[in-house]
Amino acid sequence: MFNKTRIAALLAATLLPGVPASADKPTSAAQVDYTKMTPTELTEYLIFEANGFKLDQPAQEGKTARERMTQDELQKTCSALRGKPADAATAQKVAELARDSHVYPEGGIKLGDWKKGRGLAREGAGFRLGPKVDDNTKKLGGNCYACHQMDPKEITFGTIGPSLSGFGKLRGNTPETQKYVYDVVYNAHAYFPCTNMPRFGANGFLNKDQITDVMAYLLDPESPVNL
Amino acid sequence: MYKNALCALPIMLAMASPALADPGQTPDEVLQALIDRSDSAYLTQSEQNLMMMQDEPSYWVIEQGEILFKEPRGPKKASLEQCDFGKGPGVLEGAYVEMPRYFADTGKVMDLESRLMHCMKTLQGFTDEDKAIKDKHGNTDLVKIQTFIAAKSNGMAWNPPMDHPLEKAMRGAGEEFFYRRAGVSDFACSTCHGATGKRIRASVLPNSSIPDEWTKAVSWPAFRVGHEAVRGSQHRVSECIWQMRQAEIVYGSEAAIAIIAYWTDKARGQPAILPDLKR
Repeated sequence: MFNKTRIAALLAATLLPGVPASADKPTSAAQVDYTKMTPTELTEYLIFEANGFKLDQPAQEGKTARERMTQDELQKTCSALRGKPADAATAQKVAELARDSHVYPEGGIKLGDWKKGRGLAREGAGFRLGPKVDDNTKKLGGNCYACHQMDPKEITFGTIGPSLSGFGKLRGNTPETQKYVYDVVYNAHAYFPCTNMPRFGANGFLNKDQITDVMAYLLDPESPVNL
Repeated sequence: MYKNALCALPIMLAMASPALADPGQTPDEVLQALIDRSDSAYLTQSEQNLMMMQDEPSYWVIEQGEILFKEPRGPKKASLEQCDFGKGPGVLEGAYVEMPRYFADTGKVMDLESRLMHCMKTLQGFTDEDKAIKDKHGNTDLVKIQTFIAAKSNGMAWNPPMDHPLEKAMRGAGEEFFYRRAGVSDFACSTCHGATGKRIRASVLPNSSIPDEWTKAVSWPAFRVGHEAVRGSQHRVSECIWQMRQAEIVYGSEAAIAIIAYWTDKARGQPAILPDLKR
């Protein structure tokens, strides 16, 4: 995509009268013809070629901001839906990609510490880049409350995702439920293709231990989510 | 009591315009009219903010901006009164609700903030290194002047031109970006702004497909209560993308202008609330 866009942009530049085709680095509408590009090509161009983002900034996961902006297959596929629910073919493709991504803890899935899970559910920091770069070693969370109700006593909860209040009480703390919750936190697209939910495990946002802590917050009978 | 204090402000007298249904409408009245004809939980989420709007701190920022706008400044000792924001040199009434737009002199689609910087460079001789341009956010010249200019469009319908092919191209790229999921959280703008009445924690989110609530979402500059500062559109873009865990967007870049071109188009026909007050 990246190279294709660049080629399209350079081609477009040659079509503009009065603009030398040898222009080293076309960087704006004045030099390349944006109207000859598809919306996707122009968007990629504005992100990667026209100084739209600070791409060389190092990212917390050890890569660069450029790689953050580069879409993987699942992101590309789901973006193309433009907010509409996935059709059957897309859903199948995305669910397969997601199932392939699941990696389980050695020795099987066990519940972690619900108190640590509560901290992770409340904390919203982590992985943000400039201008205020998050230090993941100081603060990092899954920010579950941004989108989900969990502890029924917590009054500031988001509603983008479904309520999870009493989740363990309703679903039971069985091995099957534990695997389901692990899978959903790790990569929810296996069950809900093109869901809004981040792939906390597959994207390396949370590690396996942190995921089992969040699981405990949802499933442990002692957790306030289930009281 | 608030009302009386407000009416004493000269800005109220300066906001008359033929495009206004009621030329005397204040930003809080524009918002109240929207609330009266819709049932948006986004518009009504903070009673406290609605009360505070009648006495907005940004009214003083407008006055500071007016002084800066009219004062001869920069190496060329010129005012900004000859700056063309799209409706001719010096025409400010209704200029902002018709931005971003294509400018023949630069061959680019520009939003208010990039156009303002352009005029500060060409008319006044400032450079990117000068404080007047370098300091983007907070209690800065750029914020003050853009707030003054934007207030001249209060109550008018968003109407960004879509006649030039570049205006359409930039809007199209903005739409593409709006749905473009990327980064460690897989977020896109649409993650938060694609449904009605959803919340992040306690904050009700505006839906980009509901123009009469979306107009408030794109009504910048606005006084951000939580920041104790007036913020502009470029700041909002930057903050959303930061929360989305994507790369830092460059202020005034064409990527940011494309996003603003799309979001303004989505509020088309609805009255702008300028300046607004937000949480």
